[in-house]
Amino acid sequence: MKKIEGVMYQANAPKGVDPDSIFFVQVDATKCEACGSCEEVCGTGAIQSINEDGIRQVIDPAACMNCGQCLSNCPYGAIYEGISYVDEIFEKLKDPDTVVVSMPAPAVRYGLGESFGAATGTYVGGQMHAALRQLGFDYIWDNEFTADVTIMEEGTELIQRVQEQGKKDARPLPQFTSCCPGWVKFAETFYPDLLPNLSSCKSPIGMLGPLAKTYGAHETHTEAKKIYTVSIMPCIAKKYEGLRPELADSGFRDIDATINTRELAAMIKTAGINFNSLPEQKPDPALGDSTGAATIFGTSGGVMEAALRLAYEVLSGKKLKNPEIKVVRTHEGINTADVKVPGFGTVKVAVASGLKNAAKLCDEVRAGKSPYHFIEIMSCPGGCVNGAGQPLDPEITASLFRSTVAKINQRFRARKVTA
Amino acid sequence: MKMNRRGFIKACGIMTGYAVLSVNMTKVAIASAMDFVGLRQKSVYDADANSKIYKLRKSQDNPMVKKIYDHKTGFLHEGPCGHMSHHLLHTHYVDRSARVKALKAKGFKLNF
Repeated sequence: MKKIEGVMYQANAPKGVDPDSIFFVQVDATKCEACGSCEEVCGTGAIQSINEDGIRQVIDPAACMNCGQCLSNCPYGAIYEGISYVDEIFEKLKDPDTVVVSMPAPAVRYGLGESFGAATGTYVGGQMHAALRQLGFDYIWDNEFTADVTIMEEGTELIQRVQEQGKKDARPLPQFTSCCPGWVKFAETFYPDLLPNLSSCKSPIGMLGPLAKTYGAHETHTEAKKIYTVSIMPCIAKKYEGLRPELADSGFRDIDATINTRELAAMIKTAGINFNSLPEQKPDPALGDSTGAATIFGTSGGVMEAALRLAYEVLSGKKLKNPEIKVVRTHEGINTADVKVPGFGTVKVAVASGLKNAAKLCDEVRAGKSPYHFIEIMSCPGGCVNGAGQPLDPEITASLFRSTVAKINQRFRARKVTA
Repeated sequence: MKMNRRGFIKACGIMTGYAVLSVNMTKVAIASAMDFVGLRQKSVYDADANSKIYKLRKSQDNPMVKKIYDHKTGFLHEGPCGHMSHHLLHTHYVDRSARVKALKAKGFKLNF
């Protein structure tokens, strides 16, 4: 066990292991105080009391979607992560025969700064690229590039589905997003009958892995077998996704290692890099450049807004003058909107974060009563910026006194928001 | 003034009350009850709207996206959802309901 940015990790880097056999998060029974915070935030009920004292455990990997909200919300730091590739990545960075490429997710750059004293949510994208370069990554590729590619693929798929309605073998509507690994496992586990509604697109990281080892290898004249791809995510469930056996379309493992924002922060500190004095740098070309549509993937409603920025132009044949489609921006819970597109009509969309909210929308689809064309789902409330791989909210892990105050404050705030 | 036990506890109670309240007062004053997650979300939208960080705001305008989908020379020259896209960028899903059904049969209660 190793402590990384306030969270315990098992230094275990599985290879060729069935990810369904791994506990990506688990409760340390000796630290559990039986407060039940984890059970409250768990979408599926995978974390429950195992004895009369109320000590909680994740009962089985099959029931856990690996979102890790239990870990983020445990006031006692009693929940640990089951795997960490940090040691292996340091070894690969030292190895001259390995070409290590970075693939950081959009949301990482809105959380990483917090580990270095910056205010909550500070954008540190430029310093992040510089830090990756200093750590010795050979190519600073960026998952935001494939977020843009995802929009092209997933937006095109949506338009195809809309156009093929009424024809034979038409793929069903609504189309669900498929970027969030917690949500994808949730759909596979609890709503397998709705899998035809799930976009067939891989997530942005599911796309960047194989592109790095094919297109990226070609663009940089690198032998694909030498490339080691490191997925850097605000997320715990992305570790599960990285190990999915089917993600090997490049002829190799598409994603060799997955770490989260906390682990990247720890690597930067271990390497003795002074993060706050770093210059702002850009990622490397071909698989690095991105747009605002890619960065908003990190927040609930962002994938929807980015997809609509494409769909609007394709369906109407007109330029979208103001790219801000604020009606789909979602702070928490479920949000629905009608978006008028000239020459097409009304695009009906829904956005939800939190798996309990996702289930409500799924039940509508199952009952044949869902009026939507496109539904975006994220497991973590508010989206990836609140992913369980991000630096922790200091209020939650504070001392018992402060965490009690934090709880009272949360109630207070909750009232304020609805008022 | 001499502080007795009862007085001391009372003073502690009042101080705690003020500590909790003042935190809230400040938060409310700061504006529209932005919480931890809300701050991060706002930062994302601010970056999207900041032309110094993101010059372009639509995926289809990204020059590297245009390059990869270029009809003649692009790696994905058939365009989105073409053959190469389907090979590399699309996937299939697996029904994972059996293991959860087995758990429920053993008596475990889940939310769904």
